[in-house]
This record gives sequence, C-alpha cells and structure tokens, in this order.
Amino acid sequence: MFGRPNLYTSYEQESQIFSTWTQKVLAAFGILLLFLLPFDIPAITTKIPGTGWLADIPVLGRVFSWSIGDGIPLVRFLGDADWLRPMTTVFMLAIAALGLNILSGVAGQVSLGHAFFMGVGACTGVFLGGESSEALYGLGLPIWIWLPGAGIAAVLIGIIVSPVAVKLRGLYLAIVTLGLVFVGIHLGNTSWGRKIAGPPALGRKYPELDIRLWKEEDPLINVSDDGRWLWFDVTDAQKRYLLYLVLAIAFAFVAKNIIRSRTGRALQAIRDRDIAAEVMGVPEFKYKLIAFAISSFFAGVAGALFAALSGQILAEAFGLFLSVEFIAILLIGGAGTTSGTLIGTFFVVMIPQFVEEITKWLDKSEGPIGGTVGELILTDGSGDLGVINTSTVTPGWTLSVFDWNIVLFGVLIIVFLIVEPLGLFGIWVKVRNYWKRWPFSY
Amino acid sequence: MALAEPMAAKTGTGTTTVASRARDWARSSPQQIAMRNKDFGIWQEYDWARTWGLILDAGYGLLALGVDAGDRVAIHSEDRPEWVILDLAAVAVRGITVGLYPTNPAAEVEYTLTDCGATVHFAEDQEQVDKVLEIDRSDIAELQTIIYTEPRGLATYDDDRLMAWEDFLELGRRHRAEFPGAVEQRMAEAEPDDVMTLVYTSGTTGPPKGAMLTNANCEYAIDKIVNYPDRLPGGKPPSPKDEIVTYLPLCHVAERIFSTWSLAGAGCVLNFAESIELVNQNLHEVQPTLFFAVPRIWERLHAGVHIRGNDASPFKKVWLKFAMALATRIGKAKVANGGNHTAVSRVLYAIGFPLVFRPMKERIGLRRCRHAGSGAAPIAPEVLEFFIGIGVPVYELYGMTENSAIATGNFPGRMKLGTVGEPYPDIGLRLDDETGEIQTKHAGVFAGYWNKPDKTAEAFTEDGWLRTGDVGEWVDGSHIKIVDRIKHIIITSGGKNISPSEIENSLKASPYINEAMVIGDGRKYLTALIGIELETVGNWALRQNIPYTTYRDLSEKPEVLELVSGVVEETNAKFARVEGIKKFEMIPKELDHEDGELTATQKLKREAMMSMFGELIEGMYR
Repeated sequence: MFGRPNLYTSYEQESQIFSTWTQKVLAAFGILLLFLLPFDIPAITTKIPGTGWLADIPVLGRVFSWSIGDGIPLVRFLGDADWLRPMTTVFMLAIAALGLNILSGVAGQVSLGHAFFMGVGACTGVFLGGESSEALYGLGLPIWIWLPGAGIAAVLIGIIVSPVAVKLRGLYLAIVTLGLVFVGIHLGNTSWGRKIAGPPALGRKYPELDIRLWKEEDPLINVSDDGRWLWFDVTDAQKRYLLYLVLAIAFAFVAKNIIRSRTGRALQAIRDRDIAAEVMGVPEFKYKLIAFAISSFFAGVAGALFAALSGQILAEAFGLFLSVEFIAILLIGGAGTTSGTLIGTFFVVMIPQFVEEITKWLDKSEGPIGGTVGELILTDGSGDLGVINTSTVTPGWTLSVFDWNIVLFGVLIIVFLIVEPLGLFGIWVKVRNYWKRWPFSY
Repeated sequence: MALAEPMAAKTGTGTTTVASRARDWARSSPQQIAMRNKDFGIWQEYDWARTWGLILDAGYGLLALGVDAGDRVAIHSEDRPEWVILDLAAVAVRGITVGLYPTNPAAEVEYTLTDCGATVHFAEDQEQVDKVLEIDRSDIAELQTIIYTEPRGLATYDDDRLMAWEDFLELGRRHRAEFPGAVEQRMAEAEPDDVMTLVYTSGTTGPPKGAMLTNANCEYAIDKIVNYPDRLPGGKPPSPKDEIVTYLPLCHVAERIFSTWSLAGAGCVLNFAESIELVNQNLHEVQPTLFFAVPRIWERLHAGVHIRGNDASPFKKVWLKFAMALATRIGKAKVANGGNHTAVSRVLYAIGFPLVFRPMKERIGLRRCRHAGSGAAPIAPEVLEFFIGIGVPVYELYGMTENSAIATGNFPGRMKLGTVGEPYPDIGLRLDDETGEIQTKHAGVFAGYWNKPDKTAEAFTEDGWLRTGDVGEWVDGSHIKIVDRIKHIIITSGGKNISPSEIENSLKASPYINEAMVIGDGRKYLTALIGIELETVGNWALRQNIPYTTYRDLSEKPEVLELVSGVVEETNAKFARVEGIKKFEMIPKELDHEDGELTATQKLKREAMMSMFGELIEGMYR
C-alpha cells in the first residue's frame, strides 16, 4: 500500500520483487543504465578542459573515459570494446550462476559439477547451431532451437545423473558432482567429442546469434554484423551485449520468480531441514530433481551462449576452475539471493579486469605514486623485488597477474566465509538494516 | 449480496443507529475497506459489502436464536472483526451488547453474565468458553447459546449451548432465506431510547456496574466527538482515508468510540492488532492516522524509545541525544504555544525531522498519525511533551462511561498541558461550587445502571446533573484540570487536602516506575508503595551488572532502591513540603488483574491494595 510498505493485504503484495516505488524506480533506472552502457551519449559528450589527469586513474578512467583532450567524450560508458566483452561475459555467466544459485543457494545442494552442465550445453549448442562439414557434426539450426535445445540437453543429462545425486548430501554430493567434471573433460577429448566441439582450425563455425525463422539468408534480426537498430548505429559487440543483457534480465526474472514461488519455498524448506520439509509434505526427491533440472537448464543455456560468444570451446574450459568460480560467485555475492548472485558474477568477472588494468597502469606510470608502487610490486622477471610478474614467461616464485587473481579468489572466499557468510548481499543487507533501523539499533 | 435485497417497508421512527450507519456505508461505498484483520501473516481486508453481509448474517442468526428487542448479547473476546460484526448485528436487531474484558477471570465473567442475563454469549476461544462453562448452569439460565470462533481444543466439548461462528452465520443465512427482510424490519423499529450497549465500569470500588448507553447517547457521541471538526488538526474530520489500530478492549467506552463508532460514524478503517504484545509491530505496519492510547501505552512507547536508544550503537546514540534535546525544546515551545509551532520550534523541527524524528516516528508507528488521544487515566506531562516534541500531536481527553465520554478535550492550537482541555461546545458541564466535582448534563448522559436504580440515583444530583466523581478546577477560565477522584483525595491528620494522583503520575513519569500509590489519609505524613517496571529496570540492572532472579529480588536490590529513591526525591522537589513522600516501600509483586489488585483497565484498586499490603503500609508509620 502506498506509503505503508509494511501493510501487506495479500501474499502477492508481500512477495513482490520490488515492493516499494523507490525500489521500482531504482530498478528501472538501473536497467536503463545497463542498456545505455555500451553507447556514447551524445547529450553529455562534452569535454571539460584541464581534466586530462582523470584519464590516468585506473578503472575509473577507462569506464568513464573522462575527457583526455582528443575528442574522447566526457562520459563514454563502455563504448570502448575492451570493456564490452567482460560485461557480456558477466551476463552469460550470470545465467549459469543463477541456475547454480537455485540448486546450491536455495535448495542447499552443493554442486561442483556446474561447469560440466555448461559444457553439455555448449556442445549441444554447437551441434545444433553450427554448420556441419566432413570433420564436424552440426545441424545449423536457428537460435530459437539451439539455445533452448542446449538447456534441454543439459536437463536430460541432469535427470540421468540425479537419481544418484538426489540420494547424497553435503560432501558426498560435492565429490560426485566433481567427478562429473572430469568425466566431461574426458568425453570432450574423445574423437567424437572433438567432432562436436571442434576448434576453429577445423573450420568450425560456432552458432550464430542472428535471429532467423529457419535457415534463410537474411536473418530477422542481425546480431553478428555492425548495423543499424532503430535509429542507432550499433556495432556487433554492442549488439551481442544487448542480446545477452536481455537474456540475462529474462533469466534473472525467471529465477527470482522460481525462488519466490511455491517451488522456491519448497526448495528452501529442503535446504533448511530436509527431514522437516518431508514431514511438512514437501516431497524431497521430486523437488531435488526439479532443482537439478532447473539449474542444469540455466547452465546449458549459458554454455551455448559461451560457445557463441567465445567462438571456440575446449573441454578444459569447463573444468574444475570454472566450477570453483561459480562457488566463488555464490559465496562472494550471497548464496540464495538473486541480486547477490548478479553482484557476485559482476565482481568475480570484473575483479581480474580491474587488477589487470591497475597493473598495466602501474607498469606504465612514472609519477611519484604509481612509479614507486610499480617499482615495488611489479617485476619483469629479472629478479628484482616485485611479486607480480608482467612478462609473459613466469620464472621463479613471482606469479603472473592471472595467477594472482586465482589467489585473490581463494583469499576472498575464505574472508567471506569467515566474516560475511551472506556475501556482498549480506553486507548490503547490513548497511540497509543499519539505516532502516535508524535511529535505533533494533 | 445483501445490498440487492428489497428493503422491508419502513415502519417505526427510522432512528439512526450504528447499524443503520453501517448499512448506509455498504450502500454508498461497498468497495471501500472497513476493517483489516491480520491472519496468516496478511492483513485480510473486509470491504463494506462483505462487512454488512456478515452483519446481516449475524443479525439473522440472532433472530433465529430468538433474540428479542432488549435482549442482551455478551461478547467476551479480544478485538477482532467478529466483535464489531456481532456488536453491530445486536444493535441491528435491537439487542443490547455487553462487552467483557478478555482478561476477566471466571468469577467476574460469572458476575457480569448473571448481572446482565445475556441470552447469547460470544466466547472467542477455549479459554473464554471454559470460563462460561465453569459457571453453574442454573445461575445463568437465560443463556441459551455460546458462540465460539476458534474451534481449537473445543472438539470434545459436548455442551449443547456451544455453536461455532460459521454455523451461527449459516443459521442466519437460512433464517434470512425463510424470513427475508426481518432484520431490516427490526432496524426500522429502533427507537432513540433503545439501550444499545451495557458498558461495565471498571469497578475500582465495589462490583462493576453496567452503564446503559442508548442509541441517542451513541449518536450524540458520534456527533460531538467523532465528527467534531475542531478535534482534528486543520479541521479535517475523520474519513475513510483514516486508519485506526484497534487494540484496547472494545468493551471499554473509549475504544468503542475510537473504533466501532468511528467506523460507523466516519468510515475510518479499523485494523485489528494481533495482540496487545504485538501492538508495536502492528503500529509499525499500519502507521495509523488516528491513534488513541491510555497513558500506560504512551508510557510504554516512551520507555521503549529510551530503552532502544540506550542500546543503540554509539554513533546513533549521539544523534539520539541530540534529537532528544531538540524534542524537549520543541515540546516545551509548542506546549507553551497551545500546541502550535513557534518560529523557533519550526526551525528546530525542520532540522530534527529528516535526521531523527521521521524515522523514529516510523519505527514507533506514528509517522502518519495526525491526531492522537490520551485518556482514561492521567498522564505525566513529560511524556506528552516528548511526543509533541517529536511531532506526534497527542491531546489529553477526558470523559467517562456514564456520559459517553463526552466531557472535555484538548483541541489543536488551544491545548494546555496538565489540563484535560475545554468542554465540548454546547454541552452542559459545571463544577460543583462546594466540592469542585465535575458534573455534566447533555444528551450523551447514560440512561442509568442496569438493574441498579439506587446506584443510578446516586449518580445524579438533585437537579439531574451527572456526578462524575472527579474533582476539577478551571484553568484560565477555559480549560479544566482534574485534581483527583473525590474518593481518593487525602486529608492528612494535619488537615491538609492532597491529591495523590498528581504525585503518583509524577513518579510514574520515570521509565523505571510502573505503579505508585500514595498513602496518607488521616496520617501524619505521606508514604508510597512503588512498583518498578520490570523491563526497564531489568535492562538497567543488566547494564549495571546487577544480577537478579525474580521481580521481587530485583525490586529489593539496594541499587534499585537507590534508583527509586532518586526518583522520589526528584518528585518531592516538585511539590510543597507537606506533599513530600517521607517513606516508600517496594511492591513485592507485579500487580495483576487476576489477583484483584488492578481493574480490567489496569487501574489500582486502592482498597484491595490497602488490605493486601496493610503490613507494609503500617510499617512505614511506625
């Protein structure tokens, strides 16, 4: 009720995604911002003289390319393709993470096999959407078949696995799903596995994102080339960004609805105490199966999108590290929460970018701060004091930026588990409650 | 639905009653919300069409149970929609509603039921049903039906008088099919002089008496209080846009006026609190625009702010301290200005509002409150000042059951702290020349006590004015200040007249003191029995690292005694020397209605206290 946010007169109202007008407006504004992010905004394309130094600031200078003096606009958002791709990756991984969130965060079934289901989706997507040749399988079907098809294939595999998985709990489940990852890598490296996936060197065409009715020449909506959408010139990278954004929003909406519906509540009951849930009339087996199926579907779709985005799939890409990355997303973002998962994905994908950006900046910097710090922590592998290796080869004990990112994840997971088990979302909730309870503490 | 039915031919006078008002709301705005009741975590809404439909069902049900004009329908329940529905249904069939306090012990239920001779009794759940079934059947021979609404625990009961609420409504629906228009016929026959309800007085002295209020009394109260335009800020009368939280016992005349009669008279939305313990949470959810509370509740809210303030994090504490200082200044400035802002207080309020007052009011659930009342007992001025300071306009009101609570009220812009306000316009109100007793004479004065003509006669003066039993005095010729109950005035052995309640209220203004009784009638000096507020003192003890086990243990700790004597000294400093409390003793137990120390409205029963703690009292004079 307007002005009385706590007066719930129906369950629909109580379980609204955005329950107050403030939330609705903010959400709309956030989504609008995401849509504008890949473009230059002409209205604010102005230079401010004397602000060139701002461009030197890492991250900020890249994200908001403050006027450098050669006509680069004041606010560019991500017009720069360097940042479009990571953001597009965020949306793709977010879909998979949302699925895992339903399985692990909401239903409490720890799974390390999420990468495997993504791989299944990727292979199916390539098989359904890619062109065939002598060395390769492929059907060349349009996106509306290969994208859901990838999800469904993952669901089917998930259902085959689930009788085992559903009977297991905790560590045992984690180990069994971990086994899946290795089975997946092995299958991917078999000869027919390669025939499905196939490296670009074999002439493999990865599924196209163009929206076609069937296999006609001119797509209904062209996503793979530069072109004009409505009144705007859009590059292919921007098109991909927009498509993935729409898909991510759609899947986030679906995931949120699953969580707040009867199914979601049943899954939460199972998470909190499976025996109690069964006593209350929640069929454990059925709902665990549903959780596996949903999570596999999300993973499968994300896998196919992964293949379409990266243009190649290696079985090793769907290995343990990806699974751990998902766990990191959930733990850092906040397990069980949709918004936490989205924040977590952004964080986990973007952190390496930021770290790299800062390293680059330090490496180039000559100034008093950047220069000295750069001297201290960077090395080109010649044996000086730095711990971050900027050269391509990695001799001795210094680690490359990529390796340091893995260390960073490990440290972050440990810190979050100890300090804030609810993740970034938990921090947000704490901050929000602090102000919500103002001027009291409870 | 009920609305589509043809109305029975109008006979009789067509008197306006709360029932006919409800019918008119259902006709003019059937979709409008009338009541909300929290059930399964959701505020279930009753619009007027549904409400009136249920009232009709219940009305026909009463007819089917043989309720005739003037028959009594007793209601023993917490506040819930059924209370209001049955109440209005009883009025619709010209019955008389008798409300019982949910806390009434079995003995008082027996007394009330035998006294009023109800034919239908509504007992909400097993607890209340048990209290009736305990009574010897022959003592309440008139009682034919006991309606219950919560069947839990009642499945094995086989008393033939029991009937479930749903069955009762079903009975009504069948009766309606058989005799359409019967209730409407009865409604049309209503007379202004029909007794519509018996309101049992709390009975601080002697057994409770059932005050008979008529339809005319009720209409006068709706006209004079509910719809009196100057009562609310800006002269905006109550409307269906106003939200009310119903939580005080509906059998009390104050809650009846502020809830049922506001609903019928102005269409205000009633939100039934889940229980008295959950009022704070319900207030937070509903954010009522109109709010009425007894001083005990105001004191609790006030103490709650302090307790939670003390527990707040250091940063928040700093802000709170600042806000409290602001609130005190604003409160003082506004009080001195009749409740209006002065230029300075407006500026201070503009600073404090976004920082602390707005969220604080939101937290206690009074952010949207545009008018709050305090009545039924005297309130400490400090508490009022605080709430006025944070921007909750609380006005002290005065009235009693016997005059339908129509006597005086503080009005926006003209309030005077420490007084109960001005008489409502055009009512007869005077102070007796000799005793200073407040006396009223107007259309709201009751028809007498049920079955007690001698008591009724005592309640009136020879020239027909109602004796309120309260001594008052004029302040500035316009406002009235209540000195005390006539019976409570203490005359010390030195011959000095002292009003104990002023001293008691000053003591009770401390968040640590819950109960205080000043003694000294015929004695050389004043003494007091003091009961601590377990919550606040317990909290205080916790922070002082004082371990304690029970209420008694805590109240006998030397540190607590020191704390209380500090409060007593503060109070003594405010009064003349003869009015100083020389000694005090702690009440060793929490006072309770069940044990007979308090009335259902939580007022001290002085005589009972005197005999119960006689030794303690004598000890102070040795």
